[in-house]
Amino acid sequence: MVATAQASDLAFSGLTKLFGTTRAVDGVTLRIAAGEMVALLGPSGCGKTTTLRMIAGLIEPTEGDVLIGGMRITRTPVHRRNIGMLFQNYALFPHLSVAENVAFGLQMRGMRKALIKPKVAQALSLVQLGALADRLPSALSGGQQQRVALARAIVIEPTLLLLDEPLGALDRNLRDSMQVEIRQIQQRLGITAVMVTHDQEEALTMADRVVIMRDGKLEQVGTPEEIYSRPTSRFVASFIGTCNFLRGDVIGQEAGRPQVRLAAGGQIALPSPANDQKEVLVSVRPEAISLSAEERGTPATILQIVYRGQATHVHMALDDGTPFLAFLPNRDGKPVRSAFSTGDRIWASWSPDSNWAVSEA
Amino acid sequence: MTSRPLPRSVVGLALLLPALIFLVVFLVLPSVILLSYGVLTQSQGGDISLPLTMGSYERLVVSETYRRVVLLTLRVALVTSLFTALLAYPAAMVIAYGKPIFSRITMILVVAPLVVSVIVRTYGWQLMLNNSPTGVLNWMLHALGTGPTPVRVLYTEWATVIASVHVFLPLMVLPLSASLGRINPSLNEAARILGAPAWRAFLRVTLPLSLPGLVAGVTIVFSLTAGSYVTPQMLGGTRGLMLGVLLEQQINTSFDWPMAAAIAGVMVVIALAANVGVGWLAERHALVRAQRSGAR
Ligand SMILES: Nc1ncnc2c1ncn2[C@@H]1O[C@H](COP(=O)(O)OP(=O)(O)OP(=O)(O)O)[C@@H](O)[C@H]1O
Ligand SMILES: [Mg+2]
Repeated sequence: MVATAQASDLAFSGLTKLFGTTRAVDGVTLRIAAGEMVALLGPSGCGKTTTLRMIAGLIEPTEGDVLIGGMRITRTPVHRRNIGMLFQNYALFPHLSVAENVAFGLQMRGMRKALIKPKVAQALSLVQLGALADRLPSALSGGQQQRVALARAIVIEPTLLLLDEPLGALDRNLRDSMQVEIRQIQQRLGITAVMVTHDQEEALTMADRVVIMRDGKLEQVGTPEEIYSRPTSRFVASFIGTCNFLRGDVIGQEAGRPQVRLAAGGQIALPSPANDQKEVLVSVRPEAISLSAEERGTPATILQIVYRGQATHVHMALDDGTPFLAFLPNRDGKPVRSAFSTGDRIWASWSPDSNWAVSEA
Repeated sequence: MTSRPLPRSVVGLALLLPALIFLVVFLVLPSVILLSYGVLTQSQGGDISLPLTMGSYERLVVSETYRRVVLLTLRVALVTSLFTALLAYPAAMVIAYGKPIFSRITMILVVAPLVVSVIVRTYGWQLMLNNSPTGVLNWMLHALGTGPTPVRVLYTEWATVIASVHVFLPLMVLPLSASLGRINPSLNEAARILGAPAWRAFLRVTLPLSLPGLVAGVTIVFSLTAGSYVTPQMLGGTRGLMLGVLLEQQINTSFDWPMAAAIAGVMVVIALAANVGVGWLAERHALVRAQRSGAR
């Protein structure tokens, strides 16, 4: 079994990178526990890759520090950081065989040939590629190449595994199975890992915690569940999944729950005390909503009904024009489509627990 | 009546024909005539005719003097290729990986010697390398305080090497930077992250992957140096006598056309061998690697 030397925690404090006057990364402070997998998620250009490359030592931070296991490594050169990294384009050495690629890191550590051989074989069998050891990378499929890259990264028993959109170049199905495979290996070896992705599903599937970045800053940090069901801002709520936003005023408390009168009509309750602001923005996930022809809940008009396999998406407009979306599961071949049709006036309702107040920005 | 389009091969041949005729008349034919002189006999009167003889080639190999010139030519070409390659790597890396502004400036500096006429350039080197204390090199060495005796570089093979490196540098840098530019930059990063210091990453990854450019550059520089005339003629002197100069002497001084043709024959063989040989070496290297990885 390939084992990690010793899982270490990773921390950045005030990590900042300026390219000219662009603040690509702006004062990022974060602690990642030993053995934890964290996904950096955010729109293009928000500084994910730059952050990862500063951890690797490929870019020098303008300000701030990187600490591994409490040791400051900000000025440690790349090749002494003992890091494993997966690149989007795999970055396998095209002139070396699969086995030689995997052996590279061990050779750089001055390990004896006799010791390298079994280690390489072990790492390759871990990613189920033992049979292809003698091939050149060009004779492998994309998925196989990334598995070789994974073997090459973990065989050196890295203190940290970095992944920069590792599955970006693979097709959907392969990506799903690789997500599970990489995650399993990472957990089995207990390696601390940081992954960059702009695929929200990938982040939710693979990471213990998700870090949402925006314009070089941390927007929200939390478990996938926290990020999804308790987003702090409109930005996070709409970046992860799809979300409805309703404007309203807090008109009082009832049983400890703030009551909100919606601008679109109707009244809803928030699950937890909101900070004393009067105007609130409430987010509701489309899958929490049920629709009915009876007058119960918030009235809306159906604009479009789209069949999407596992669910039917019903696009609506509330009475003040706010767009509103519901995902209705397609169960037991019960065609949602036949129950409603475009132009119908219907009533949307959902549990107060699905309401979540978010900040405007 | 509909006319059928001509087969592609016929069209292709028709388009090729003018160039083909030009090459046959002005390259192939003269070459054959010249090379045939090498195996013919020259009479006292200067006429070149039968019988066939390998006498001229034999003298080139057997005669101590001629053999020295052949070896010196090969040595100068080899040393020039070596130094050019060593100087070319850093320049090519700046061009391939540097900031656009540095990349441009380096490119211009490297290509500059090509736009100066060979005569002007070589006179320049005569001034630079002059053996008297007033030569620029000796004057600088003296100013730096390196002993009283001037170094003697002009009229030796080293003067030829220096001037050849200067002018052939761009022909090495261009294919090399193209080759380096085609290497995926994350490969070097991957090597560094896997624990390779910069120099080991260069030796294990960048160098082998830039071999195609190196092969192209060495082939060009080696053949051009081995076949050069003006530079060794003006800078090499008698101690740096190379085949090109010897050939000219055979025609203009000794009026020995068969000998000159034999020398030309040897020079063609050297150029061909360089072209085939360097490529073959590189390919064999790749093959050995592939086999080794196969055997593991
Ligand atoms: N070498 C560089 N020189 C100048 N600006 C850069 C450089 N690298 C990145 N930037 C800028 O820094 C910002 C962050 O870039 P970064 O590559 O980290 O984004 P990202 O989050 O990885 O985006 P993507 O999802 O598109 O990969 C961007 O505005 C980018 O234009
Ligand atoms: Mg990126």
